[in-house]
Amino acid sequence: MANKMNRRALVKGMAVAGMAMPFVNLRSAVAQSGPINIGVVTPLSGPAQLIGNFVREGAEIAVEHVNANGGINGREVALMFRDSKANPNDASVAARELIGEGANLQLGTISSAVALAMGSLMESEGGVVITSGAGTEKLNHENYNPHVFRVGDSPVSRNAGLVRHIATSRPELRKWGGIIPDHEYGRTTWKIFEATMRKVIPELTGEEAVISDPILVPYGSGDYRNYIAQAMRQDVEGIYTSVYGGDAVTLYQQANPFGLFDKIDVLLDSANEFLVATAMKEETPAHWSGFHWYFEANKGNPLSDNLYERYVERTGDKYPMGWAAEAHAAILAYAGAIEKADSTETGDVIAALKGLSFDSATGVRHIRAEDNQAIKNAELAFIEPSTSAPDGFEVTDYVSLDGEKVIEAARPGQMLDTEAL
Amino acid sequence: MLYDIGLTVFNGLAWAMATFLVAAGLTLIFGILHILNFAHGGFFMIGAYVSYSLMTGMGGSLPLWLYLVGAMLAGLVVGLLGWAVDALVFRRLRDVEDAYSLIATYALLLVCGGAVQLIWGLNYLGVTPPPALNSVVFVGNVFMPTFTIFIILCGVLAYIGLELFISRTQLGQLIRVVAADPWMAQLLGLNVKRIYLITVIFSFAMAGVAGALLMPNQSLSPELGGIFLLQAFGVVIVGGMGSIRGAFLGALLLGLIESFGTYFFPQYPGIFFLLALAIILLVKPEGIMGKEQTA
Repeated sequence: MANKMNRRALVKGMAVAGMAMPFVNLRSAVAQSGPINIGVVTPLSGPAQLIGNFVREGAEIAVEHVNANGGINGREVALMFRDSKANPNDASVAARELIGEGANLQLGTISSAVALAMGSLMESEGGVVITSGAGTEKLNHENYNPHVFRVGDSPVSRNAGLVRHIATSRPELRKWGGIIPDHEYGRTTWKIFEATMRKVIPELTGEEAVISDPILVPYGSGDYRNYIAQAMRQDVEGIYTSVYGGDAVTLYQQANPFGLFDKIDVLLDSANEFLVATAMKEETPAHWSGFHWYFEANKGNPLSDNLYERYVERTGDKYPMGWAAEAHAAILAYAGAIEKADSTETGDVIAALKGLSFDSATGVRHIRAEDNQAIKNAELAFIEPSTSAPDGFEVTDYVSLDGEKVIEAARPGQMLDTEAL
Repeated sequence: MLYDIGLTVFNGLAWAMATFLVAAGLTLIFGILHILNFAHGGFFMIGAYVSYSLMTGMGGSLPLWLYLVGAMLAGLVVGLLGWAVDALVFRRLRDVEDAYSLIATYALLLVCGGAVQLIWGLNYLGVTPPPALNSVVFVGNVFMPTFTIFIILCGVLAYIGLELFISRTQLGQLIRVVAADPWMAQLLGLNVKRIYLITVIFSFAMAGVAGALLMPNQSLSPELGGIFLLQAFGVVIVGGMGSIRGAFLGALLLGLIESFGTYFFPQYPGIFFLLALAIILLVKPEGIMGKEQTA
């Protein structure tokens, strides 16, 4: 009886194996010679779609560039898009689905909450993700996960760069205040600002920085007048803010008639790039803004020039924002890693990404092996209102700071130490 | 100290009147049709965008009278949309459970967001107030932006106008009759459907005008619909559902609480409105005006 069963099982097994073999071989052949599928999980609907659109454009332009130059090890790259809705639950479902469809290499995360949810998911599902603008410092600190990489700037390099530049160029400004969104990221940016200012000002002037308590503002409010009144009461020469997007436009619009920006010498805006200026035009307050990528600061870099020209051709928009360059850089990082590893397997790509140096629209970036955080230039631009400029504003100054000089030490698994900045 | 209190009161009034402008139409629809219109914020947003298009189409910074004409036109457009909404949606909601109304009007809010995205795109937009309203007035040491004074005046005038309309005009009195007992009103020969339609058009037009009036102080984006909606619902609930006077008083109360709360406890931004809402509901769940005053 046992022998009969074994013989039957053997025959069945051989038959099933015989039928399956051609498909197994076919899948394997496709995996080795077909296009390399890269998943893009980014907001394609909802309020954050504005940013997701930049990610989409940047990724597609990078893929065009890579494929026009022979692909990666002779294989073309294809993108598979899914909508994250900037929501960790939707993003997790989309990322898992893409891994199931063979796209183990992913990018496009712009939200910190989504980026933090990706670590354990990618680890358990066998994927890897390169974020495209997610700003939380936890990504390369206490929530470090080897399956998550950030090829853009860390919040420390962005904000410390901004502070160091202003402190160096205007050391006479010692009295500072801040208008900070009342959420975790806002408070982190303020910690970085305050710690850096308290360190740099005495180094440059021999005097202590005078820093007022930050003014905390709620997210998504239609009325900021009370907070503006608080700012008017403070004796400050400069204001730092990480209020973002539509909130920043509303805040600045309501602050203008109070004369808040006439009262201070400098406004430092951590991240709005052109979001405020394109909305407010000639009413834009003069301010320095941090940028993921400012195209004029990278003129002459063929990757930057190509990204800018193709972006303008595709969209008609003259002011691409940095998320496009972050998605663009993620594709170039994958290209470099796959070429180096000669493999698209997750483990091989992770090993190759660690310590990788690759060229990008902002110049060469180096991914630290210790915490998966890229070292890249910190870019800043000074935007001023202009009645003669066709768009009502113009960039009158910009700088690109050496990333090595503004990034914090790698401390994966540990909280950010602001004392060490 | 006096300066700080003066500015805090001024800012509280600005919050209150901006919110009342949005809430007035919301409470009117609830008072007459008993529909909690989640889509109200969406039509407020459409009013703002229509006005933006009119203003930028006419060259941007406009004289005050043109800005006001633009606001009236935005109200007209949104009022006409109200007509369509009444025919397509609200009429079907009159004899169904509240849950269906909530789902239908929430879906309508999503439709508004999608329409704005399709027509005007996702970028943040902004316009400046008319030059006549883009300055500052000093009252003692307290400086008051003229645009904010204008919004406070608009809120007060809107309240007085609505009170007079409801209590002193024949149409207003008919609306009150229908709000009190639509069945009896029908028996008495009133065209209840027409009064419902007029109420919806009027409420939507008020949302459109509110959007247009407040636009120069806001960033425009498809998120705008939700920003004032929560505040507007708050003042409608605190005032007593369906009461214009209640919404006005609720807006004043919540605006001043929010403003003084932020002044005295700046480390807790934005929570005083919610805190006050919760406490008032616990103490007086029927709202300031209770159920006796409808519309």
